[in-house]
Amino acid sequence: MASSSAPDRSPLRLVPWAAGAAALLAAPLAIGQGYELHLLIIATIFTIVASSLSLLVGYAGLLSLGHAAFFGLGAYVSALLLLRLGVSMWGGLVCAAVISALAAFLVGGLVLKVRGNRFIITTVAFAEIMHLIAVNAVDLTRGQMGLDGVAAPKVAIPGLGVIDFGTKIAFYYLVLAMAAICIATIARIVRSPIGWGLAALRENENLGEAVGVSAFRHAMIAFVVGGFFAGIGGALYGHYMQFVSPDLFLFSYTTTMLVMVVIGGKMSIAGPIIGAVVFTVLPEALRVATTYRLVVLGTILLIAILVLPNGLASLWERRRRAPAAALGN
Amino acid sequence: MIDLLPQFLFNGLLIGASYALIAVGLTMIFGIMNIANFAHGQLYMLGGCLGYFLTARLGLHYLLTVPLVVLVVMALGLLLERTIFRRLRYEPAMSSVLATVGLAILLENAARVLWGPQPEPIATGFSQMPIQLGPVFTTEARVFAVVTTFGALLLVYLFLNRSLLGTAMRATFQQSEAAALVGISIDKVHAATFALGAGLAALGGVLLGAIFFVYPTMGTTATLKAFIVVILGGLGSIGGSVVGGLILGLAESLGTLVSSAYKDAIGFVLVILILLYRPDGLFKRS
Repeated sequence: MASSSAPDRSPLRLVPWAAGAAALLAAPLAIGQGYELHLLIIATIFTIVASSLSLLVGYAGLLSLGHAAFFGLGAYVSALLLLRLGVSMWGGLVCAAVISALAAFLVGGLVLKVRGNRFIITTVAFAEIMHLIAVNAVDLTRGQMGLDGVAAPKVAIPGLGVIDFGTKIAFYYLVLAMAAICIATIARIVRSPIGWGLAALRENENLGEAVGVSAFRHAMIAFVVGGFFAGIGGALYGHYMQFVSPDLFLFSYTTTMLVMVVIGGKMSIAGPIIGAVVFTVLPEALRVATTYRLVVLGTILLIAILVLPNGLASLWERRRRAPAAALGN
Repeated sequence: MIDLLPQFLFNGLLIGASYALIAVGLTMIFGIMNIANFAHGQLYMLGGCLGYFLTARLGLHYLLTVPLVVLVVMALGLLLERTIFRRLRYEPAMSSVLATVGLAILLENAARVLWGPQPEPIATGFSQMPIQLGPVFTTEARVFAVVTTFGALLLVYLFLNRSLLGTAMRATFQQSEAAALVGISIDKVHAATFALGAGLAALGGVLLGAIFFVYPTMGTTATLKAFIVVILGGLGSIGGSVVGGLILGLAESLGTLVSSAYKDAIGFVLVILILLYRPDGLFKRS
């Protein structure tokens, strides 16, 4: 998709991104430090997770229905390191990312050879196994009770005083920075030769293989990077909520992420961001109708697949591309 | 311990037969329509919840409820194929899978809105008194479920092998372009496949719901179990999923003897082993 249209090199293309970044940095001034900021933090964490899933579902064409496994694994790794070994969140984040990526590597070695529907089913099975372990390994995880007291650290910076990441405002800037790193990395990958390889794998695997694109290797790279950032997202989520439970592995988390990616736009950098914001805010807006909330979400997902297969982001892209196409003709 | 073995075998057979019932529909939808139906467990749930609604709330007799539930869910299956899956037939496979995920969310929560989240029993009118069959203790509801399940599987077998529509379905499964070329209506075959699969899942729900409880979230586990069975038996193989269902039911039942906490993990571990060593299922000849 990206390779078919001429790359837009004008500096103007960065304007919306710069404006968005400025707005996000200034957001706490406008919305205060209460419930709205909480929603924004959750939306930012899910931006990380949804972007990592879009690399798989969108760019690589691998429908992983077990993404919650890496999200939950990251949360548990960081929480357990803090509670059992006293490793702070910083070490926890690194270990969560590395261990989730490693898990993705091992699972990938098993399932990426059998892609297609077998891949989809196996990813579900993997998340389910992780859930069963979290529930049943009570000595380590405290089972259904979950782990509480997953604190965020305080950092003393000479000259600036102490930053307490237990506060919403500090944690907000932390997740914002992490989301920026994650999105920049994924944007870099999809525009690199690896991204072209992924496109080949998605569009026509046999043809790709024929011209020397190793489907297995590319799928593996997408899977490992996806696991890496999902692990970071999970660790951040655990430290922000200060609580980790086996529920993080549930299929409902995977479907939430999937809805964000699909309705936001699965083959666009902006798509998962739009999706994460809309589907963090929308359930809150639908709160008046709590019982009907998920019925509405399911219906929206179905309709979106039927009428808007490339997501909300495609509305914007279509508008931007339409005049260019008209000029070209 | 050893004298309990026949009891565990019987329980495993009962659960395994209903796994088979659900998995046969799933594997047909997969084989013929190339859709991994993640809403399949929700059709099973709908069977159970409708069964509860018709018997416990409307007071209908259980023996009338069973065929009625199957027909209603089959009609829903026709409607879904017509409104959703027919439109997505020539889209990438991922679109239909995503649509089934949306459908699963929708059905599960619609059931929650309609019937509430709490587990409810189906009013069968069967006696609760245990019956002794040799070394095995059981109840009327369980005997009814086992007999009906195997009866339904036999009917499906006869339908696929003896009827014109069943033959058309098998032909489409083997080679859908060639089937279309000799005049088989692919629309009709797909509609029949989805309706039949939905009906079998609903039958499983209304039969097992008479033994356990029914609740709106019961579908999620059922979907996963059915997929395990389908992988064990080989994707798209109908006979394989019957045997796969029985194997999983027996393995879980006997697994309870070892560790009840990890009983549900047995299936997932089996799947991973199968994918490692026999990726085409247990029964595929290489």
